[in-house]
Parts: sequence; C-alpha cells; structure tokens
Amino acid sequence: MVRFLRHYGTLMGMAAIVLVFWALLPQTFMTARNWLNITQQVSMLTVVAVAMTVVMVVGDFDLSVGSMASLAGIVAAVLFTLGFSVPAALAVALGVGLAGGLVNGVLVSVIGILPFVATLATLTMYSGAAFILSGGKTIFGRDIPQSFGDFAKSGLSLGSLGDKPVVLPWLTLLALALTGVIFVVLELSTYGRRLYAIGGNAEAARLAGVRVTWLRLTAYGFTGVGAAVAGLMYAARVASANPTQGEGLMLNAIAAVFLGMTLTRHGQPRVLASVLGVLVLGIMDNGLTQLQVDSYVREVLVGLIILLAVSISALGRKAIGRR
Amino acid sequence: MPQLALHGVVKTYGQTRALDGAELDVRGGEIHALMGENGAGKSTLIRILAGLEKSDASQITLDGAPVTLTSPAAAESLGLRFLHQELQIVPALSVAENMHLAHNYPSSGFGLVRWGGLRASAKAALERLGVAHIDPRATMGDLGPGDQMLTRIAATLVDTQGPRPWAYVLDEPTAALTGAEAERLFSALHTLRAAGHAILYVSHRMDEVLRLCDRVTVLRDGRHVSTKGRDQVSRDQIIQDMTGRDFATLYPPASAPNQGAPLLQVRGLQAGILRDIAFSVNAGEVLGLAGLSGSGRNHLLRALMGAVPRQGQVVVKGRETGQGPANAWAAGFAYVPRERRAEGLMLLQPLADTVALPHMPALSTAGFVRRSWIARLVARLAQTVRLKAQSQAQVAAELSGGNQQKVLFARALAGPPVVLLLDEPTRGVDVGAKFDIYATIRGLTAQGVGVVMVSSDLPELIGLCDRIGILQAGRLTQMLPAAGLSEAALLALCYEKEVA
Repeated sequence: MVRFLRHYGTLMGMAAIVLVFWALLPQTFMTARNWLNITQQVSMLTVVAVAMTVVMVVGDFDLSVGSMASLAGIVAAVLFTLGFSVPAALAVALGVGLAGGLVNGVLVSVIGILPFVATLATLTMYSGAAFILSGGKTIFGRDIPQSFGDFAKSGLSLGSLGDKPVVLPWLTLLALALTGVIFVVLELSTYGRRLYAIGGNAEAARLAGVRVTWLRLTAYGFTGVGAAVAGLMYAARVASANPTQGEGLMLNAIAAVFLGMTLTRHGQPRVLASVLGVLVLGIMDNGLTQLQVDSYVREVLVGLIILLAVSISALGRKAIGRR
Repeated sequence: MPQLALHGVVKTYGQTRALDGAELDVRGGEIHALMGENGAGKSTLIRILAGLEKSDASQITLDGAPVTLTSPAAAESLGLRFLHQELQIVPALSVAENMHLAHNYPSSGFGLVRWGGLRASAKAALERLGVAHIDPRATMGDLGPGDQMLTRIAATLVDTQGPRPWAYVLDEPTAALTGAEAERLFSALHTLRAAGHAILYVSHRMDEVLRLCDRVTVLRDGRHVSTKGRDQVSRDQIIQDMTGRDFATLYPPASAPNQGAPLLQVRGLQAGILRDIAFSVNAGEVLGLAGLSGSGRNHLLRALMGAVPRQGQVVVKGRETGQGPANAWAAGFAYVPRERRAEGLMLLQPLADTVALPHMPALSTAGFVRRSWIARLVARLAQTVRLKAQSQAQVAAELSGGNQQKVLFARALAGPPVVLLLDEPTRGVDVGAKFDIYATIRGLTAQGVGVVMVSSDLPELIGLCDRIGILQAGRLTQMLPAAGLSEAALLALCYEKEVA
C-alpha cells in the first residue's frame, strides 16, 4: 500500500486535484482556453524548473534563479531605454544569465562553497544589481519595444473553437522547446549521463574518469541561462521590468523538481517529472484563483500539497528500505 | 576477578559460515589479544560481543552464570565497552563534555549545567587513567588521535550510577597513532589492568601483541585455534596458527606471462607516503601487492589511476600516462576500487549506466549516447563475469555484494583493458563469486592483459599471482615470485622491518 502510494501517489493526487476543480468549476475549468491559459501561466516556471533539474541531477541546487530572472529582465529593459535593438538586448541579458550561473558554478565546484551558502550570497548580489541598474523603479511604457511585448501576447493559431480563436501562446511553445532541449541534454547526451553519475556517487564518478569539477560548474550555466530566459519571458508578458518580478520563481522551481522526484522510481530528478511538478503547482494556482480563494490561503494549501507528496515518498522509501 | 567466556559461537551469513565454534574467555586483570587473518571471524565475534549481531548458537557465561548478549544495552550492562577505530566524538565540544555525552551532565536544577562539577568529574576520571596531561577544558577536535582515544577510555571511568565497566574491547587502536601516542595508550592500558579490568586487544601488529598482551587467542576460518599464555607463544607460532590451510584447488592455473616488452612500467613514483616506487608488469602477468594496512598498497593503485597527485613516470605500452582518472582510463587502465559502494557504484542507477560510464567516448557519437551499443556491450560482459541480475536496468543497490563486484568487473573489462588494477577484488564476496572472479582474472591474462592486484588475503595473493611485491611504509622493499611462497613466509616478509 505504502509502496503503491509512493509510486503513484503524486499522479493520483494530481488527478484528484483536476477532478475537484472540474466539479467546483464546471463552466470554466475543463476548457481548452483555460488549459492553454495554464500552460502560459506556468511557462516561466517550467523553464526555471527544467534548468533547476540539471543542477539537482548533480545533487546541487541554485537559490539565485529568482533574482537572476529579475536581473535579466532589468538588463534587457535598461538596454532598450539606451536604444539597443531587441536581439542585442536579449543577447546581453542571456549573457548576463550565463555569466551569473557560471559564477555560481565556480563558487560551488572550484572553490567548494556549499551550494546553499554560495547561491544565497549571489541571490542577494544579483538582486542588488537589479535594483542598482533600475534605480529601484519599474521600467515600462514607451521604453519597452512593441515587438517585445507583442511576442508574449501572441502565439500559434490552432484554428477556432466555436466562435473564439484558439491560440497556442509563444511562451508555451518556448517552454516546450527548452524542455525538449534539456531533455536531450540530460537523457540522451553523454554530458547528461555523466551528470547523473556525479549525482549518484561523485567519488565513484571521479574514479571512473568523469571530470567532476568541470561538469558541476557547467551545470550552473543552465540555471543561469534558464533563469534569464524566464525573466525575459516575464518582462515580455507584462511589457515591463521590475527588480523584484522574479521573486517566487526559485521556491516554486525547487518545489516542482521535488514533486517530480516523488514520481520517479528511485527519487531522482527527471526533466519530464519536473514538468509534471510544475503542472501540479500551476493547476492549483489556476483553480484556487478561479475559486477566489484568498492568496494567503492558497500559499498554505500549496505548501501542504508539497509536504504531503514528499512525505509519502519518504515514508515509502523507508518502507522499502526495511524490506 | 570477573570472567566472561564464550563457547561454541556459530554465525552464518547466507551461505558463508563466519563463525563455526569460536571460543574466547576474557578475565579481569589481563590484556588478551585476539588475532586472525582477514575473514577469520574476529570482527563477527566482536560484533556479537557488542550485541550488534545475534549468534546462531553460543553459550556465554559471566563468572559461570549464563548471560545473553542480545543488544548493545545488554553488553553495556554486563560492563563491556567498545572502542572502534573511528571514534565517536563531537570535535566542537570540550573534553569534559565529550566524556559526559553518555551520562547526565551534573546540573544545578532547571537543567542548567554545573560546569565546575562537570570539569571536576572529567578531571577525576582522567587522573584515574593516569592521563592527567589532558585538559578537560580543551576542545576535543584540537586533541591528537591518541589523546582522543584516551579521553574516550577515560569517559568510561566517569562516576555514574549503573553497572561499572570492567572489560574493554579495542579494535586496531594504534592504527592512527604515532609511536609516542601509542606508548601513552599502552601505559593507560597497564593502569586499567592493574585496577583489575580486562582488555581484549584486536590487532594485526605482532610487536604490540607480543609486548603488551598476557594471553593470545587465534581464530582461523571462524574456529578457535589456540589460546596461549605469552610465555608459550612466539611470532612464528602465532603466524603458524593464523595460517596453514589447503587452498590449492581454489585457484585457476597461471597463464604463462609474456616475456616481451613490459605493458606497464613505473619509475620513481611518489605520491602521499609512497617513495621511489619502480616496477613493471608484463602481458599476461598478475602482480600482487602485499603489505600491512597503512603500507601504501591501496594508495599505489590510486596513484596509478591518477586519483591522487603523483610524481614520476607511469608508462603503459611505451607511452607516458597523464594525471587524472580520465587519462588513466584512456591509456588502458581499468580499476576495481576497494570500497565498491563508496568508490565504484552509482547505487540507485541502472547497472548498465555504471558499466558504461568510463567508456562513454567509445559508446557515443557526437556526444549522444548509443543505448543499443551499451545494451549489447553490457549483455556480453554480464555473461563473461557471470553477473546475475534481473535486467540491465536493475539498480546496483538491489544486487548482492558479489554481483555488485561483478558489475565493477564488467565495467573494468569493457575497454578492453591493457592493465587491470584490482583493490581487494574479493572483499566481502562469497566463495562462489570468488571463484568466478578468479576465473575472470585468469581469463584476462590469457588474452594478454596485465594485472596489478592488492589484497590483504594472503592465500589469495599466493594462489593467484605470478609475482608479489612487498610494500612497507610506502616503499616497495621486495619483489619475488609467488610460486613456492608459503603464507607464513609472506606474512613474515610484511612484518620484517618491525623485527629489525
């Protein structure tokens, strides 16, 4: 029973949540429009969570993704105000993400600081940098190019349902594409298999000829770039940049990966499982918002769901260990 | 004086009979050595004594009255205390606090610690052991390993309610100690003996045993061989008692080593305690490395793999190998580490992934893993090493020790290797799997692979190797053919320097 719950508990919980919302919101929840909406709402979180999966595969994590997302949005917006073209500004912002990620990698892998401490320190640094660059203000309005904001509002037309057009948002497609990239990296490439080996047993991996220090360092490049992409997506969606808009991404991304880990047989982080974790969080958020549940209550409920899933997983593992 | 006696102790693990009628009696006022080769059953006997392990059959008496040892608490209430190689200490706390971890701190009500009382109690215990040079206020982590051990012993002398300890079991206590620290320990042990306590002293170090102990019990293959007073034993006698088995049938015949250019040449190798190591290995040859623990035998293999920084030349097939494990694997080394769980396996990942890991460049195209190649390779190797697993996707954690070791052998064979490095290849492996592993090793040498093997199992070294090198304190002091070498002679060579 415990083992059954451990393997399928999260999936069954997910199904139960969907059914409950469907029953409580018969008109609006189970519609194509709402689901497309959910995918757009969770697209930023998806990008950060799949990137976070890469470092968590190695056994590390990155707390600085939220402030990096804010920083990347601010960098792009500031460059827009200085008259840079959209591609140039985006390239610089992504470069900042990569550099910030690699700084984390050097601190953790080369210098040997605990991931918690190193990325906590860079969290405040990147956040501070975002405030300095923006002067603490939100950058919006005419400074943000029209094409940048339009990207987030449009998508791929899928024809129409009844009289309303159905559009698959570009943000959703971008998240799907990046998920695909990370999937290929982690599951199909030698690089990814080596990351899993490090996460499984770093000393054994080293003795087997894996360049542990270098690979651990580069894994942080993924979270840096992933956070920057998410930050730009967010900035495009609200057509503005604010030094605090990435807040909340970090905790939710880590929560999503943990939820995903409860789905895998041996509790390992996997990309697609992380995406399912993101969906659980996104569905909860969407349904509870529609039910007009107070946002503070919402936070308590989301926390409870995470604890429940992880507890069942931990208890299940104990039961298996006792065999 | 109290006397604890164990008779007819039997303990089996699966197919293996670890203890088969072991006997031991320990009396107050003596230092009693327990000796035996690896696998003789010493640790199992001590685990039973400590209540960590339940015997299948045994009669245990304390002063003639039957007692049971079913839990660590039972052992403690009988007055037994155990000091392991890895001491349980809290480095950040003071000596006095460490000594009271198992007891209630002296308190002045409201749960507040009476620091003066705590220090006084610790000081008294330290003085009782004759080690008053240790300051109760010092931080535990600042003490040397010798003083830490003395502190742990003194902690058992702290005044408390409950049964008083009278027997101490020390497992290789001097392994991490300097000569001066060991001397301090010995004098403390003499103090304990004079106070009527018993000490069971488990050690490989012949000199210490002969110097310190009043009686010596030798185990072999889980059986009691002899218990003799010090005036009745000699070094040779103990070695004789520890060895002397017939294993001729266990080992496959040697393949004729190729006399051409050597596969592996090592010159002027320095790493850690290793100094001026030079040797060569021919194709088809098994070179054994023997030595006491701490002689650097395991370190030598790690140095060859580039897993530790090294100086000197390591030449495989005429080409010098670079630093780092990746270069070592690329040069044709393959490595089966000693601690298979800590150093070899990814326990929760498919066993095929562990096998493929060092060979990724050959099992991928343009950075993408070729799953079908891995599947074919693992299937072939699993057959070669006679791996018993449900599937290639099974995780190593679910395999038996022998099969886990076979996974690592499969990995080492995948290259295929030029020189195979084996560190305790049959450690913790049952007899059947041992057979398979020996056959695998000789199958490789028949194909021209060179093997360097470290083992603390001397019969295994003699039975399997063509030549044996002796390591003493980081130097390769002897190199001799294994044929005709007796186990006693080999053990004596390992101990030689101590005699002089």
